[in-house]
Amino acid sequence: MDVSQAKQEHLLALKVMRLTKPTLFTNLPVTCEDRDLPGDLFDQLMREDPSTIKGAEALMLGEMLTLPQNFGNIFLGETFSSYISVHNDSIQVVKDILVKADLQTSSQRLNLSASNSAVAELKPESCIDDVIHHEVKEIGTHILVCAVSYTTQYGEKLYFRKFFKFQVLKPLDVKTKFYNAETDEVFLEAQIQNITTSPMFMEKVSLEPSMMYNVTELNTVAGGDEGESTFGKMSYLQPMDTRQYLYCLKPKPEYAEKAGVIKGVTVIGKLDIVWKTNLGERGRLQTSQLQRMAPGYGDIRLSLEMIPDTVNLEEPFDIICKITNCSERTMDLELEMMNTRSIHWCGVSGRQLGKLSPGAFLSLPLILLSSVQGLQSISGLRLTDTFLKRTYEYDDIAQVCVVCPYTNNEC
Amino acid sequence: MRSICISVSAVRSSKMDSEEAPAQRPVTLEITVEDATAEAPGPDPPKLTISQTPLRENLLPQVESIDLGGEFSTPQEDSSATPSESLMDKLNDQMMESVLISDSPNNSEEEDDDDDVAPMDSFLDAVEEEDHFHETSVDKEEQGEIGQNTTEIEVTVEEQEKDSSVEKVDEETREQTDTEEQVISCVSLQVDEHSPSDPNSGEPSLLEAQETKDYSVPVCTIFSHGTHPKSLVPDGFQPTLIKSPSFSMGSGVETSEAVTPSKLMAPLVCQPSPSLSKFFNDNGHVNPASDFFDSFTVPSSFISVSNPNADIPPGATPASIAPTPERQLSSTSSSISNPGGALDSGAPTPSSVFAPSESTTKAQPPPSQEAPAQAPAPAPQPQPFNTLQAVFSGSDDPFATALSLSEVDRRHDSWLPSEETRKLLISVATQQYSPAYVETTRLTMPGLKFDNLQGDAVKDLMLRFLGEAAAMKRQVLTANSVEQSFTGLKRLISSKNWRAAVDLTGRLLTAHGQGYGKAGQQSSHTTDSLQLWFVRLSLLTKLNLFQNAELEIEPFGNLDQPDLFYEYYPTVYPGRRGSMVPFSMRLLHAELPQYLAKPQEALDRLHNLKTVCLAILENLEKGLAEDGSMITLTQENRQGSLKLWRSRLSRVMYSMANCLLLMKDYVLAVETYHSIIQYEPQQRVQLLSGIGRIFLQIGDVKTAERYFQDVEKACQMTGSQPSHTTCVLMNRAFVSLSQNNYTEAHASFTEVLKMDPKNPVANNNAAVCLLYLGCLKESLGQLEGLVQQDPALYLHESVLFNLTTMYELESSRSTQKKQALLEAVACREGDSFNTQCLKLV
Repeated sequence: MDVSQAKQEHLLALKVMRLTKPTLFTNLPVTCEDRDLPGDLFDQLMREDPSTIKGAEALMLGEMLTLPQNFGNIFLGETFSSYISVHNDSIQVVKDILVKADLQTSSQRLNLSASNSAVAELKPESCIDDVIHHEVKEIGTHILVCAVSYTTQYGEKLYFRKFFKFQVLKPLDVKTKFYNAETDEVFLEAQIQNITTSPMFMEKVSLEPSMMYNVTELNTVAGGDEGESTFGKMSYLQPMDTRQYLYCLKPKPEYAEKAGVIKGVTVIGKLDIVWKTNLGERGRLQTSQLQRMAPGYGDIRLSLEMIPDTVNLEEPFDIICKITNCSERTMDLELEMMNTRSIHWCGVSGRQLGKLSPGAFLSLPLILLSSVQGLQSISGLRLTDTFLKRTYEYDDIAQVCVVCPYTNNEC
Repeated sequence: MRSICISVSAVRSSKMDSEEAPAQRPVTLEITVEDATAEAPGPDPPKLTISQTPLRENLLPQVESIDLGGEFSTPQEDSSATPSESLMDKLNDQMMESVLISDSPNNSEEEDDDDDVAPMDSFLDAVEEEDHFHETSVDKEEQGEIGQNTTEIEVTVEEQEKDSSVEKVDEETREQTDTEEQVISCVSLQVDEHSPSDPNSGEPSLLEAQETKDYSVPVCTIFSHGTHPKSLVPDGFQPTLIKSPSFSMGSGVETSEAVTPSKLMAPLVCQPSPSLSKFFNDNGHVNPASDFFDSFTVPSSFISVSNPNADIPPGATPASIAPTPERQLSSTSSSISNPGGALDSGAPTPSSVFAPSESTTKAQPPPSQEAPAQAPAPAPQPQPFNTLQAVFSGSDDPFATALSLSEVDRRHDSWLPSEETRKLLISVATQQYSPAYVETTRLTMPGLKFDNLQGDAVKDLMLRFLGEAAAMKRQVLTANSVEQSFTGLKRLISSKNWRAAVDLTGRLLTAHGQGYGKAGQQSSHTTDSLQLWFVRLSLLTKLNLFQNAELEIEPFGNLDQPDLFYEYYPTVYPGRRGSMVPFSMRLLHAELPQYLAKPQEALDRLHNLKTVCLAILENLEKGLAEDGSMITLTQENRQGSLKLWRSRLSRVMYSMANCLLLMKDYVLAVETYHSIIQYEPQQRVQLLSGIGRIFLQIGDVKTAERYFQDVEKACQMTGSQPSHTTCVLMNRAFVSLSQNNYTEAHASFTEVLKMDPKNPVANNNAAVCLLYLGCLKESLGQLEGLVQQDPALYLHESVLFNLTTMYELESSRSTQKKQALLEAVACREGDSFNTQCLKLV
């Protein structure tokens, strides 16, 4: 009660309007044919209507711009724009007007006014205009605090303020998933869901990798110069739609060399998302640094550098293993090879591989042959660290397809 | 998969963790908006979340749900809101300006509540805090201290934000629901209100009297001797021939078998052709409305031509002659009424010559005991009739067809009904089947669903804001002040008094026996009655009274009932074939559900229309007639038909595209708009620009620009037409607008105005740009000037809406300025003006 009374006593009126983008007026085409009862009337009415598209009156989407009708929703990452108008409703000249617009969020208070200097005087029926912009960086309750102070012609200093509360909502739901490839590559799948109520054009969804990685975006289908997006011709997201983006991260050579170094939690990078909605209303968000737990390799990591995918039955074939010391100490390794039912190792078992310092690796060419057709798993490697008398077992290292080269001839 | 909440503010995330079992939130990542300016004052809160790292050991989960706003509570939680809160809300609301705060309630539903199970006691604490918050903020205002309490506010905001956000949303939901309820109740008022002061209600007794009089008239035996198909009517069915409007109100209804089209008898009614404009006021003359029904349609003079032919076949029984006089009659009367277009000339028509003899037939209430006696009689009759009918329906007799079918009629009325309906129509046409046997479920029985007057919202507003004296000055045409005919109807439509026009269609339909409460009762259809329905439904749609339109179109089903085709009435429309329902009405029927949140249904119907259009075009291209019959058409004729049906097809495509746009299925909408170009190449520029604007609406500025480039190419190809240059400039302006460059956009709109100073769109849009540039006064001045100089162009909903919005922003005295607008509207606009855009209420 007090508040409203106080309001009326003031000589100045403060009005605030959020400036979302204007909308295009849509008209409602109702047509008839010349032979119908209204004859040409309906068409004529539509032609005379200024909001229709001349020459194509049946087109619903017009060109007339209309101002926003309500506050609407505001989402994190969008820009909050607002018109602030201070109007002199009285019949006297008002002096020294200072308009101040602050935005109070849950953590801070920001000054949004373009200028902080006072206006010397305001005549009746004139107004002070200000358009403020602020990129919203917090979620939750925001309060726009507009304060007006002025001096009446009798020298009385007056002051009032108004509060405008609004909620900033979350526009997107982002889920991420990491896949570790055999070759130190990491694949990141990001699911981005539009949880607003309007369609959203995804202008940019990119992964900014951390210094350790190079990134390749896997969201286009090869072909042509630019490549076609995997999402089709139209890059927009309907409300509640989810889209999956895929990125391949390769460690930079200088880090890949020290493969053992990438251990534990590593920072992969962050997603940078730019979207647009109605008439180019823009929003931008970045995720925090995405982190991944590098797969643990234990003390010794054994990976394959070369292996054929298909081999002939009972014919020897070569593989190259890479053995990396991931531990903090030097190892002295001995290699044992145990035959399985189908895979047979060629060469001497129990040979010494020598000392391997921390972070170092060695490439080890080995020869095998398979006695059974089909998809065979390579198993049976044993590495023993003679310093600690610890044995590491490597089974199911990889698979090869074993085929019989004579099938066609002999059948 | 584990769900991880990413909170945005450090303060809150730590608070959340203290409230919840840490195991539920192993990691808190934060989403930060990149700070472009990088000069955010104070500590950067997000950095603080590193304190949550103790749980990193658990970082095995591969999927992380990054929840940007886990802190939002759901509406359910506020069930515990205390009354004091709502009181405080009210207080709080007074500080709010309605312009700004109106969150959509829907959004609260989207927020997931899984992780918001705050302990009860903390919740209560928060409530207390909130009260405190409100008090302080109010205090502050009273004290008038600048910024001193800032820190206090910060604390309270943090702690109560969860609850306040909830209750805020909830409160708004409630408000919204309230308004919705109001809207609904308004609608139901319109629908349900059967005003006792119905102007027609006085009639029944008189009508009844009139009817009983008619019954006493001797029965003409031509019809009752049963050669005419309608006498096949079995027991209990009484041929109520007179569909003259008002009669059906009386006892005629009980007989209910309006098997014979009113058309049949209408011309026979002998009335000393009263002044139609007086008709509805003067109950002394009851019938003339049926006269009126001949005025518009049956312009086809062919009827009189065909009739002699029809009579020629030898062996024509008296029965076959029976329809003849009427036909001649109707044709004569129509030919007379055609030039004038209306019957109110008052001159006695030639029909009156026939009247004395024929008027007896109209009453024709065969005594019920006679009916069984007649029933067997017609059985052997069909034979001669068949030969006769063969002339009418004979598609294999080109000569007769040419005589009996006007080319234009055939072209426009062609339709492909469903197989079932088609068979029935063939058997009716070949006299194997009497329409009387058609089950009532297959008949169309429409009637008005509301009969209250539509009123004039502008006048109501004037009464409320400007007083009775001002309201009295408002002069608009009403249903009473025009001729009770199509001429009057057209006057109402062209003067934009669509509400009055709806009233008038209601009267005319009542006169036709399809008035209020007549739905579900049999009545016959004529070209006129269906045109009236079409106009009425179109106007309801134009007035956004979609529910009403839906209610009234519902009895028409899918517009495939046999009685909506000319073949069903071989005697009234001899030889005429095809759909009595105008194509535009089919289109309207198909479009209607999309305005009632049933776009899928609309699409289904539109696809049906499209299929028929394509089939007809295929028939035409194959050298057949539209309906696939083997009529040889002249080249000129065929071209005419092809042109018409192509334009119909493109109109259907437009509707489909519009519907898809409403559904926000932009991919298909764009595709459909694009496909229209092949049918309407001259609309290429407009269509491509429209598609470009769709992309701007989605936010895809780049693709929009590509389309706008295509527009520019198309414009260059066709040479420089001023309209095209305008279009190119407009498109540029929209692109600038989408790039947030309002200065550039304003410049482009201004450039359009240099070439075309009267362009209302450019004028309005330039003014809108000015507002975004912070020039409220200039913008307002421009729009105000436009409305004053050229009210015909600028008293448009969209312009007025912009203007009133700016008034609200400009000063506290917006209501007076709006009232001035209302006065301007009152002297120019009809009753169909949408007063909402004045934002007076």
